[in-house]
Order: sequence, then structure tokens, then C-alpha cells
Amino acid sequence: MEAYPPGSLDHNVPFLVVSGLGTNTAKPLLADPELRERGILVRSELSAVDTREAKIILRLIQEADATSLPWEPRDNPKRYKFKINTIGREFLLPPRRARLPDDLDAPSSAFVLHSPFSPLSPGSTLYPDGLIDTRLTSDPTLATLHDNELKTDIIAIKNAIGQSGYKSRLAVVILSDQSPSSVSQFQERLENIRRSTGLDPKASLFVLPTRRTEAELETAVDNVLTAIFDQAIEYYRDLGRHTRKKRARGVAPRPTIPPTSGTSHILSLQGWNVRYDFKAAVFAEFRQEFDVALRSYEQAYDTLLGTDVLETIPAWNPRFNDARLLADIIAIRALKCLLLSGQSTAAVRRWQLHNDRICDIVDRKGHGTHNYGWKAWQARWCAVMANLIEKINFPELEPSSLSLFRPPEKNLSAERLQPWELLHHSGYWYRAAARHLLDRRKLAHSIPEEDRKPPEESTQAAMSRKTYAYDTYMCPEPNEEYPLEGPGINHAQLIFDHLTLARTEFQKRRQKRASIELALDSCRELENMGKWQQILELLAPLWRDMSFRSEGWWDITEEVSWVLRNAAFEAGQKELIVAIDWELMNKVFSRRLGWHYDISKALDGINVVQPPVINLDDEHLTSFIRADFVFKHEEGKAGQTCPAQLSLISNAFPDAAPIRLKSLIVHVEGGLREIHLKHEKTRHQKQINTTLELAKVTLKEVEISGDDAISDGSESDLQPDSLIILEGTLDLTVFPGQTRVFEFNVPLRESGDAKATSVQLSLESGAFSLTYSMQPDQTVSSSQWYSNSSSRRKFIRPDPRSVRILPRPPKIEVKALRILEQYYTNEAIELGLSIMNKEDSDATAKLDITLRGGGAPSYQVQVAGGGKHSSPSGSDERSLRGIHMNTINASESGEVLITLDPIEGPTIIDLSAKVSYYLVSDPSTPIIQEALYHLNIVSPFEASYDLLPRIHSEWPSLFNTENIQNPSDGDTTITQSRGLAQRWAVVTRYASFAHEEVVISDIELEPIATQGNVTCITSKAEALPADGQILSPKMIEEKYFDLVSQKSSLDDRSPATADLAFIIKWRRISAPDTVVNITTLLLPRFYVIVSEPRVLATVSYSSSPSSSTSPTTSPSQLLFLDITIENPSSHFLTFGLTMEPSDEFAFSGAKATTVNVLPMARRSITYRLLPLVRGTWVRPTLVVRDKYFQKVLKIIPTEGMKSDKDGVLLWVPPEDEGDDGNEAVVRS
Amino acid sequence: MANTIPSIVCLGIIGRNNNPLHITIFPSYDTTTQTYAPVRTPLQFSLLLSGTLDIFEARSRHLANPGGAGGGSMLLSGDFGLLHAIDDRLAAYGFETNTGVKFVAVVDMRGRLAKNNTAAGRGGVGLRDNELKPVFRAVQTAYVRLLQNPFYEPGEPVGGKPGAGAGAKRITSRKFRDEMRRIGEAWAPGITAL
Repeated sequence: MEAYPPGSLDHNVPFLVVSGLGTNTAKPLLADPELRERGILVRSELSAVDTREAKIILRLIQEADATSLPWEPRDNPKRYKFKINTIGREFLLPPRRARLPDDLDAPSSAFVLHSPFSPLSPGSTLYPDGLIDTRLTSDPTLATLHDNELKTDIIAIKNAIGQSGYKSRLAVVILSDQSPSSVSQFQERLENIRRSTGLDPKASLFVLPTRRTEAELETAVDNVLTAIFDQAIEYYRDLGRHTRKKRARGVAPRPTIPPTSGTSHILSLQGWNVRYDFKAAVFAEFRQEFDVALRSYEQAYDTLLGTDVLETIPAWNPRFNDARLLADIIAIRALKCLLLSGQSTAAVRRWQLHNDRICDIVDRKGHGTHNYGWKAWQARWCAVMANLIEKINFPELEPSSLSLFRPPEKNLSAERLQPWELLHHSGYWYRAAARHLLDRRKLAHSIPEEDRKPPEESTQAAMSRKTYAYDTYMCPEPNEEYPLEGPGINHAQLIFDHLTLARTEFQKRRQKRASIELALDSCRELENMGKWQQILELLAPLWRDMSFRSEGWWDITEEVSWVLRNAAFEAGQKELIVAIDWELMNKVFSRRLGWHYDISKALDGINVVQPPVINLDDEHLTSFIRADFVFKHEEGKAGQTCPAQLSLISNAFPDAAPIRLKSLIVHVEGGLREIHLKHEKTRHQKQINTTLELAKVTLKEVEISGDDAISDGSESDLQPDSLIILEGTLDLTVFPGQTRVFEFNVPLRESGDAKATSVQLSLESGAFSLTYSMQPDQTVSSSQWYSNSSSRRKFIRPDPRSVRILPRPPKIEVKALRILEQYYTNEAIELGLSIMNKEDSDATAKLDITLRGGGAPSYQVQVAGGGKHSSPSGSDERSLRGIHMNTINASESGEVLITLDPIEGPTIIDLSAKVSYYLVSDPSTPIIQEALYHLNIVSPFEASYDLLPRIHSEWPSLFNTENIQNPSDGDTTITQSRGLAQRWAVVTRYASFAHEEVVISDIELEPIATQGNVTCITSKAEALPADGQILSPKMIEEKYFDLVSQKSSLDDRSPATADLAFIIKWRRISAPDTVVNITTLLLPRFYVIVSEPRVLATVSYSSSPSSSTSPTTSPSQLLFLDITIENPSSHFLTFGLTMEPSDEFAFSGAKATTVNVLPMARRSITYRLLPLVRGTWVRPTLVVRDKYFQKVLKIIPTEGMKSDKDGVLLWVPPEDEGDDGNEAVVRS
Repeated sequence: MANTIPSIVCLGIIGRNNNPLHITIFPSYDTTTQTYAPVRTPLQFSLLLSGTLDIFEARSRHLANPGGAGGGSMLLSGDFGLLHAIDDRLAAYGFETNTGVKFVAVVDMRGRLAKNNTAAGRGGVGLRDNELKPVFRAVQTAYVRLLQNPFYEPGEPVGGKPGAGAGAKRITSRKFRDEMRRIGEAWAPGITAL
């Protein structure tokens, strides 16, 4: 847009000249000296007001200046728009009338003088048939003077302006130094001024009291400006009306002087109409009425391009180009109106229409469209649109909105639109302009040489041909466009500028790929200009991390790389050259013919003083060599080795030079050592180029000191001491397309996950040394294990590039000595552990013992040749940690004895022994061996118990004086029990649950507790053998105990119970005699004193005197059945006894009798029975009945008797046994 | 110029890692030489296709935030409509499958000489967004068919981390290529099925 004449495309807003505020004189408005010479000077004699308030007002007014604002059509909160110019006290108005040519003779008649810009004025450039001078629109139209006081002064100014003939409006603002309230005092004076000057107080005379706050001043100034703006609008409406009137006249006015020279052609009526329409449109624009303006512009445009105006002008006539220029200006102004009213799609259409129409006209009438001039115009036309879009500033096209184009207007959205008709952001337009400029250059370069000669050298014929062949509208002649000698138009710079403009727009909207494309195009232009450094600055950062590489757009990557390489070569950027050459070896790129593809020749042609060291990595660069590092096994143990393969796959061009690597370094993470492979030339002549070459490499550990191991100091700081690496040597030449596989065994050192983090290859040529480090190939989803056979093994492991190193397997063994099959409760358990060192070297060990399980006992640990350790008490889990053991020499063993205290109840205990040890040879690697033992503790015995009543020999007598308790000395004699006593027999049957024979050394029955003031005395019925009794597994033994219980006092007749414990003292049969394990079994609670009356039957056998003498005689053995009735109650009880006769025996005694039992007494009735049968049980049918309660009492059998539900049974011994019968009865 | 109609000049399939999978270039009519020739070089088409990725990204980002009005339907159907017009001739239309594979059709608004019998309007005959739908539908069908081939290896590494596109392979199926060519040549404005 800058190419168009200044002012022709200005945004038209009313022009406000501010005078009298401040003394700064603006630059003269009229640049044209001729115009200035005859300008009309308006001058005020008063000095300028220069107070603080005046400055504020001036600033406020200047802030309202709309000149530099974007052309915002909408949403402007202020109603007015001015172009504001501040001047001192004088102002020069341009001349109103054109000057007559000086050489004209004396005026024959009164000339009608016209505006200097009119085609009618002889001095105008338009004379006699031009249409419109571009200077027209810049004329000052409204002068508003702020003045102070004196009416004479105002009148003088007014007169001056009036005389000038301009219908400029004058507005006077009187600044008063009073507050608004006191203005009324001056009312009279103001009235005077107003009257004498004839100024309208509403429109042109303002009083502005200044003693106010700034905000108030602002609103006041705002009001004044609004009022003036209304005046201005009115002024332009007048002018517009005037123009319409002129147009309506329908005649072409006569020029001041009829043209005398050249053609006699004067401006036609149609031409005048264009002029009037244009003027009307401009005036409408001044009024901000864009619809009206647009209509007028369209009218002017149609007329201009219609048959009567442009079509009539021949192409050789300079007026043709003037008409084109005018058409452009009208079109631009129309576009502006469209854009300002928000009709973006219509604007693009308008743009396209103008393009097409001009194309059509130029094709038909002009010099054709196949020359640089047309392309130059097209480029300009695109750039104009871009400029317009930037000026209008659509919110939809803001970079923050991220939308690239503006949606169409509502009324057009249903139509089939061209995609281009959606208004895109200006970057697109600049790019289009750049494309046209490219075409322009192409066409310019096709200009034949003779046309490019300077005009003075070329022939007349060539000159005339040139005029017809080239469109020079707004662009230079062919000899200047592309001169044969010397610089012409710098096309590259032009294109570059447009591309840069476009690129900034694209970048703002985060179209990064598109901006790279533009950058690439820009760089081609920079290449043309030879600005290599600029290319590097522009392209190198993009090249480094452009997305095309990571996304596989190889053709683009290649293009960028080549452009950059060229620049780098010219600029001598060695690193960049090597990096690009390295990347371009990849055969995914297209082959450039004649290129060497040898990385060692990368710096050929560059002066290398000091060979640079170049470090590259795969983060910013792809490579033709891919590396992978896989482990054969998923896991391995520390101290062992794991086979691993390092593969290098070359994707270079088949005819590229082989790469001779200097070394290969595999960086590792975890418990591995770095692997270095060094080149060693082995293959001299035979250049075998197999696609797959598998080499087995032996690695040996090499210790390198920190200084020379790492060239960069960072790592050596971390590890100041020496570093151990694995090193191998072999030939490291990689041919194009070859896969080199290096297989080696990697020693695994420490447990944990380990993997190869990067593979770094380095090579060295004479000119540089290069290292390239890359991640093991992540892009390939499955790695493979190469082998010499054709079968390839693919890994299905998730990550074959890492190996899990398990801890080194311990070679110390923990063995339990003498562990028994079964452990029992109540015995002390001894466990012997033997710790056997099967490592190759001596070991320093520590032992942790942990017991787990319910009721885990405390224990002691005795280390052979060491101290004794006791377990902590209290906690459930008892562990002893860090028991220090002596150094165990290789293939020797250390012993530990663990003694567990006797355990109360059956349980399961886990005993774990953990040996953590270090080898003396490798004190940094802890090794752990663990042994776990389950100890199942069972109870060796179980027992069942019975309590049988017996007749106690004693029964306390109420009348015994010994029983009388003396309360006075009761304290001391309380020990003697004198209450009721009862005797019982406790039968215990106990079985051994042990797996082996045990020796019972003793058994006891002990009362543990009694309830109800009773004392119990127990005694063994029979003693055990002195050396104990051997109890076999699963055997049941029965033992009798006597239990006599006695109440402490006779008065206490309540029942009493006792808790008894059965104690077995035993040992294993294998154990020595000294060991006594005591197992205590608790009996259920028994009643040992009953308070109810009871009937006890006892039997005794008379020893027959005749048994030995005559066995044949009648049975002479008698049974004595004693019925003892105990009455421990305090009641007098009467019992009836009836004895039925029986077939089995004869008896003597009362058949029916009544027994009275006193309280606290007992009585016995004896029956003598003569059994009639032998060797059997007889049943005496005896009933004891409580007379009072009519209740039959149960007869309780005692020793030698038994009972069933019908009553007691007596044993009649067989005939021949005699005395033994007693024994047998007892046993049953 | 007056009797040209829009035609497809380039069909691009772009993988979900923004890697090019397939590019077919069609010649378009040159009014001055009256021949059919591609309007741009393959490199320029590559740049042009990759340039649309910016718009795909921007639009997806725009749709991802909930404020985007009317974005839901576009996200569901995958049809991005007009991505941008490159200049007054070329315009790029886009479609994204739910697996992130993008189809781009570059249309030359003056790409083909209109036959007399077809309803060739004036040069400014436009194009609606949905007129490209049959193209994308046909491309998607072809792509799905390609994927259904058990011997076809998509060649896209799992993981989808940046940089994964570099290792991806292009589509080499001849059948797919022929199908792309057929679609591109058969399409014209107003055609509803391909």
C-alpha cells in the first residue's frame, strides 16, 4: 500500500487544527512549495495559552487523534474521530484558486479560476483531461481554533478564513480560569463576544472553565469535540451535496484555458462523473458513512472501467496507467468500506473481481499479463489486501483466537463459497504476494538481453517495442527491473520481506510447520542474496528440532538440510556440516547425484585449522546407523554373566563409503560396567560386505584411572577413583546396509535392574572427530537376537534391553543338626545349627534368629567359641539380630546352639536363621542365606478323670469337744479342719501321645484351688516303680488317687468344689535320667463336699471258714451289704428301707424298716447276703425312701460295686477263687 | 478460466504420529498451456500437507476445551471441513479418524476443465464443506480395508511417544494406491458417493 501515492489511501476523518494551546509549531502542512507560496495565512495575534490546564486540555485533545489508530469501524465508544494537528498561532491554508501560468498573456476575459487540483486548472498535473490528483484528499478542511478572549481577534481570524474561500468551520473555545459556578459572572462578556463574532454558542463557541479536575476536564473536552464533530459532519454533508449538485448538472465544465498543446482532448462527462462520484464517496467517508461511500465508489469504479472512460484511453497513453491507479485506489477504498462494515467475504470477492477485471483489461488493451509488470501488480494487490486486513484488525483474526479465517457474513453463509473467500489472516495474503513476486522474478529473468540494455544504448526499434511489450504500471522499465549490468530490482529482498511478514503472522498463530515452510522459502531467497549467516540464524534452530524429522517427512527434512548445509558450508560452520552430512547418509532421503556420501569428506573444501570435536545425539538428529543392545536373558544372577548383543544397523546409501568407527561405548545403568569396543584393523584386503556380520567379542576388565578415562570432566568428578570398564577390540567398520552384531558376555555385578542407556560411537577423520550417542533403538517394537543360523529370534519380553540382576546366590549352607521328629510341650528344646561355608573365600557372617508363632518361648543362642545371647522377652516375635560369628574359613563350618525354654501349650513355631555375610575377598557385596524351621510342639499326654465317692472312716461328732471352736484363739487354730469330711477316689486315665516311649518317673495329683472352705488331701493309691514306668505310644494307663476333703467348720454345710492338677513327670527314653519334664494337666472342677443326704452302699466279704475245708459243702461265704445314710443337713430325716427277696441270694436283715437320721449324723444298716449263685453280679432290690418327701434315694455304690439304672450290683466271687474275688471286683 | 471446476490435486493420509502414510498427487488443468500438470512439486505438497497438521492440532486443542461451541459434532464425526485456503486456488480439507489418522484433501478450485454437459457455472463457483465428505468416506473405507488385510503391518510403533513417527512405514499397498487415485479422479463437486 506504500506504493500508492501518499494520502490517496488515508483513512478519512475530519481534520482538526488546534491553535493557541502551547507553542509547539507542527511541521508545515503544505509540503508543496508552490502551494505554500500562495497559501493563505491565518494568524492570531494573541499569545498562546500555556498554563497547566491548557496542557492538560491539549493532551486530552491529542489523545483523541485518530490518525494512527487502527480503522475500527465498530464499537468505538467515542462518537467523534478527528485527525488532529496542533499548531502555534498561525496556520497556512492552501490556495483556493489555481495560479495562471506565468507566461500567459494578459487576461482577455475574467478567467474562472478553479482549484489547483482540478483538471480545469492549467497548472495542474491533470490538465487537461486527468481525472483526479491524489493530493486532493489531503486538503485541510476544518480549522478549529481554540482561542482565548478577544473578539476582535476572533473576528480577524474568521474573516481570514472567510476570505480564503474555504468553508472551513471555526470553533472557538474560551478557556476561563474560573470554576464552573462562577462562569455566570462572565456571561455578559461572553454574550458580547458571541454577538459581535456571530458564533453559535451551541456549535462554535465554547467556554471551558479550567478550574476543574482532570476527569471533568476530560468530559468537557469530550463534549466540545463531539459538538465540533457534528459541525464537521455537517460541513462534509454540505460538500457532498455540492458535489452531487455538480454531477447533476450533467455537463463537463470548461477548463480555465482550453488546451493548446498536445491533444485537444479534454475530460469527458463520464470522466467528470467519476470525479464527482469519487469526491462524494470521499466526503461520505469523512462523515464515516461507509455504505454511502461504498455506493459512490462502486459507481465511480463502474464508470471508470466502463466503456467510456478506461476503454477509450489507449495503452500507450500515460493516462491509462493513471486510470489504473485510480481504479486501484477506488477498489482499495471500496475494499476498506466493505471491511469496515464487516463484510469480509464480500471484500474478498471485490478483491478478486478487481483482479479479474484488471487482468481482463490488461490482457485486452494493455501489455498482457505474461510479464513481470503484471505479476508485480498482482503481488502488490495481494499485499494491499494484507495491509488492509492488518489495519482493520478483525477480532476473529486475532492471533489469540487461533482461527485462520473469518467466517462468512450471515447473508452469504448459505452460498457456495470459494474457500479463499473466507477472509484468511494477512499471512496468507503476504505469502500469495511472495508467490507473485517469485513469478515476477521468473518473468523478469526471461527478459531478452537487448531489452535490458540501458535506453541510451538500445536502438529506436527496441525502444518502441519495449513500450508495447512491458507493463510498467507502478514498476520500473525492463532495463531497471533486470539490467544487463549493475543491480536492478532486488527481487530476493522483496520476496524475503513479504515472506518474513507472512512468517510472523503464521508464527503468531502457532502454525509452526507453515512457518518453517516460509522460513525455507525465505532461506532460498537469502541464498540468492548470499546472506549465509542469516540463513544459519533462521534455519539452524528450526533444523535442530523440527517436527518433520520426528514425524518422518523425509523430503522436507532433506530440503531443509541441504539448504542449511549449503549455508553452513559457505559460513564455515563445521559442526553443522558434519551433523547434516551424518544425517543425510540415510537412504530414506533421495540420492543427490554426484555427492560423495562419505562422512570423512564432510569438511572437504573447508579450511580446518584445529579438528573440531563434534558431539551429536539422536535427540536432535536421526542417523543412518541404528543401534540396539539386547540381553539374551530376562534375568541373571550377580556374579554370573549374561550374553548380550550390540547391533549396529546401517541404513546408508548402498554406494556410500563405509564408516570406520574409532570406538563404541555402551553406557549402562545399574549393576553393569561400561563396555568399550575399540577398533583394531584386522581385515586388510578382503572387503567382505555381508549384510549380517556376527562377531563374538571377549571382554576383559580394564581399570582406567579417572583422569584419562573420561574426556569430559563431569564424570571424573563424580568418581575420582579409578573406573573399571569392559574392553574389547575388533574391527569396527560398518558397510552401508550392513548389520554388525557384537556378541559378548556381560558380567552382572549387583542386583537390581540394569540396562544399556545409550550407545555412543565415535569416529575420527583427519578433519574432525565425531561422537554420536543414541538410545538403544526405541522405535522398533521388537528386538531380535541374531544368530549365525538363518532363524531369527524375536523377543517377546517387554523390554529386552534391560536385564534384572538377581542377588548373588549364597553358598553358605545352614544345616540343622539333630533335629527331632517331634517336640513336646514342657521340654526344653535344643537345636544345633551348622553354618557351612562353601564359598571360595573366608566369610564374615552375622546371624539373625527369629522365632515366630503363638507362645514363642524365650531362648538362648550359643555360638560355638563365642558368647551366649538371650532373646529379648516380651514381644510376640522374638528375634536376635546381628549375632556376631567368627570368621568362617572356606569349606569349614561354624556351629550355633539354640536352646528354647519349655513351652507351655501345643503350638507351631517358626524359627528362621538368617546368615548375612561378606566374603573377605569382596567386602562390598552382602550375601544372605536363610533357613527356616517349623517346630510343631505337641502335648505328649492326654488324660481323663473320674471321681468316685467312698465311705470316709471319720464322721464328725457334734458332741466331740474337740470340735468346738474356741473363738478366742480361733486365729491360731484355724488350720485344723473340723467340718464334714468326705472321701473320694480319683481315677485318672492318661495316654501317651508321644511318638516314642517315654519314661514316667512320677505322677501326682495336686489340689490347686478349692472353693467353699474345704481342704483336700490327695494321696497316691499305689506308688510307681522307682525307676519309672515306661509308657509306649498310644498306651493308656489308669491310676487311682485318694482324695479326702474336709470342711473347715461343722457349721458350714454348703457344698464345696476343688480344682485339681494332674502332674506327670517324664522324660524321653533317650534322654538322660537327670532330665525331668513336668507336664501338668488340669482336671475339671469337682464337687468334693455335697450337702444333700446320700445313701452309700458298701460291700464286704466274710472270709469263709469252711471254704478251705470242704469245697463241696454249701456256700458259706457271706456278703455284708452296709447301707450308710449320711445326713449333712440340719434336718431330722426319716428313711424307709425295703429289701425285696431275690432268687440269687438269701439275706438277713430288716425287710422293711425305718431309719431316723439326726442332723449332721450318719447311720448304717447291714444286710448279710448269702448268694445262691456264683461268679456273677447280684442285684439286691433295696429301696431307700425318704419318708417325708416320699422320694426314693439313689444308692451310691462304692468300692467293689457297680450300679446301673436299676440299682446297685454286687459281685459274687466264683467258688474256687475265694479271696481273690475281692481283687477282681476292685479291678472292674 | 470460466469453465473450470474444482478438482482434487492431492490426497494425503497422515498417521496418528503425524507421519505421512501416503500421498497421491493429481494433475490439474493449466489454462495457459491447456494441459494437465501438477500445480506444485511433490515437496511443496509435502509441505502443504504437513502445514495442515498445525490446523489439526489447533482445532483439536480448541475442541478439547469445553468452551468450544459446536465443536462436539465435529469431534464426533471427525470431519474438520475446510482447514484453510492456501491461496485463491488451493484449499485444504481435513478429516480425522477416531484413531488419529488424518485424511487431507487439497482441492484446486480451478483444477479441471469443465465438460460442457456438466453444470459448470462461472469461475467463482464455490464449494461447501460437506461436498468433500464422500471423499473422506471413500478414503476411510479404503483405509479400513487396508487395515483388515492381515498381511498389512501398520508399522506404527506402540507407545506413541514423540518421535515415534520417524520409524513408521508408509503405505505400500498397490491396491490402496489405485483406490486413492480412483477417488481423487472421480470426485467432482456435487458427487455424493464414490
